[in-house]
Amino acid sequence: MRTVRDSRVQTALLVAVGAVLALAAMEAIGRFQLLGRGWPPLSQVLDILHTPATRTLLGRSLRTTADEAGLGLLIGALVSVVVAVLGTVLPVLQAGLDRLAAVLNAVPLIALGPLLIATVGREGSPAVIAALAVGFVMFVSTTSGLEAASTAHRDVLAALGASRTTTLLRLRLPAAVPMVLDGLTQAAPAAVLGAIVGEWFGAPSGLGLLLVSAMQNYQTELLWAAGLAAALLAIVSYAVLGTVRSLMAWRFR
Amino acid sequence: MSGSGAVLRRFLGALGTVFSRYWTVLALLLAWELWVRARHLNAIVVPAPYSVVSDVFDNPSAYAGPLGHTLLNSVVGLALGMVLGLWCAMAVWFSRMLSGLLTPLLLVMRSVPVVVMIPVVARVVGFGTPAVTTITTLVSFFPTFVMVLSGLRAAPTAMTDVFAVLGASRPMVLRRLLLPHAVPELLVALRLTAPSAVLAAMLAEYLLGRSGLGTLFADAVVFVAPQRAWGAALIATVVSVACFVAARGVERRYAGRFR
Repeated sequence: MRTVRDSRVQTALLVAVGAVLALAAMEAIGRFQLLGRGWPPLSQVLDILHTPATRTLLGRSLRTTADEAGLGLLIGALVSVVVAVLGTVLPVLQAGLDRLAAVLNAVPLIALGPLLIATVGREGSPAVIAALAVGFVMFVSTTSGLEAASTAHRDVLAALGASRTTTLLRLRLPAAVPMVLDGLTQAAPAAVLGAIVGEWFGAPSGLGLLLVSAMQNYQTELLWAAGLAAALLAIVSYAVLGTVRSLMAWRFR
Repeated sequence: MSGSGAVLRRFLGALGTVFSRYWTVLALLLAWELWVRARHLNAIVVPAPYSVVSDVFDNPSAYAGPLGHTLLNSVVGLALGMVLGLWCAMAVWFSRMLSGLLTPLLLVMRSVPVVVMIPVVARVVGFGTPAVTTITTLVSFFPTFVMVLSGLRAAPTAMTDVFAVLGASRPMVLRRLLLPHAVPELLVALRLTAPSAVLAAMLAEYLLGRSGLGTLFADAVVFVAPQRAWGAALIATVVSVACFVAARGVERRYAGRFR
């Protein structure tokens, strides 16, 4: 017992040291300009948060992107869950839906820019691209989740003469919950990605716009601050959904 | 006569299989074509699929050069990323200390979409090809690392015991047992990353490249040549799907030998 706990403490210590080392490396590379002027020291990046105007700009952009990513996650998850359920209810459709999801996943996200700007406008397209980025992960995880119910359980329901709707509602959907939550966790960074890529196509605000404009204007600190904000958004959404999953998933096993 | 009948039947059967699998994609294309024709939409807004395909087939030379650049960028990045991922996985397998120290970085890499960092990467390594290659490298690094490491750690205990009993050193175990055992995982990583490497290369080219499909797309949008823009997207889609199919083929063919 003692050795297990010791090694756990040791690992935690190593992880903490690793985090400190990574931050120190970020600072040192910038301070000594090991990778040129494009990599500022971390402290200098955080310094620009003292300027109220920059802080407001960053906060507003972060909120815009977070809203778009959240909306996209919601729409993408709902649509793909409905489509995946449709595929299991009507097995004739299954193969076609699988291929459609795979092909849509292979379409480069930016390629949809012109179409989306023509249909949903510049403000709307980031959320739609986020939904598309989320869709494939959610579709795949829901489809495999719906198959996750054990054969024994299925046999019991079949032997008791349960209808397909009952089997779906009472067995297959509950059994799919852990996988769906897993998919949501994986999809959260994809939603952030989709929203930011969508903003590259001429959205009026957001972190994506800030990233590109700071790059073009050589505002290196602002560029890094926007990059860190995007990373933070992805990490926090991943961590929050991951926690929700581990809190809820056991109920459905 | 019966021979040709069998051939015909087999052909129709194959056609039926393709149709039952891809009817959704065909229906989507058909709906798109009909929608464009029925609404008399301007080609600037949405070009009809037929006009996009004919632009690709009428001007192959316009697409060939950019496609070559994008493929080169993706292949170089993919190779670099997979080699780096393999090395890092071996290093982490060797040293528990390194594994602990790198955990925070790896947690960050798992949740942060690398593609978002294209502008930051470009500012550090320089615009154009260096940035595109760096991005594709980063995109393919992480899945390779994770898959190979799990392969190294999942070697059957019976085998590691045999090696231990025979007094094999750790490098020997790694080379003779674990690395061959991790080959299937490496091939899975190839299947996962090859399509996304192409798409990441195209995105990076779109934002900052001076060549490649992404730049072709960006220029076509600027100069209002919708058929060309959609053609570039079509080619990128086809290439990405082809990469997936090819990687899956390699995996099916060779993974079994190492199990």
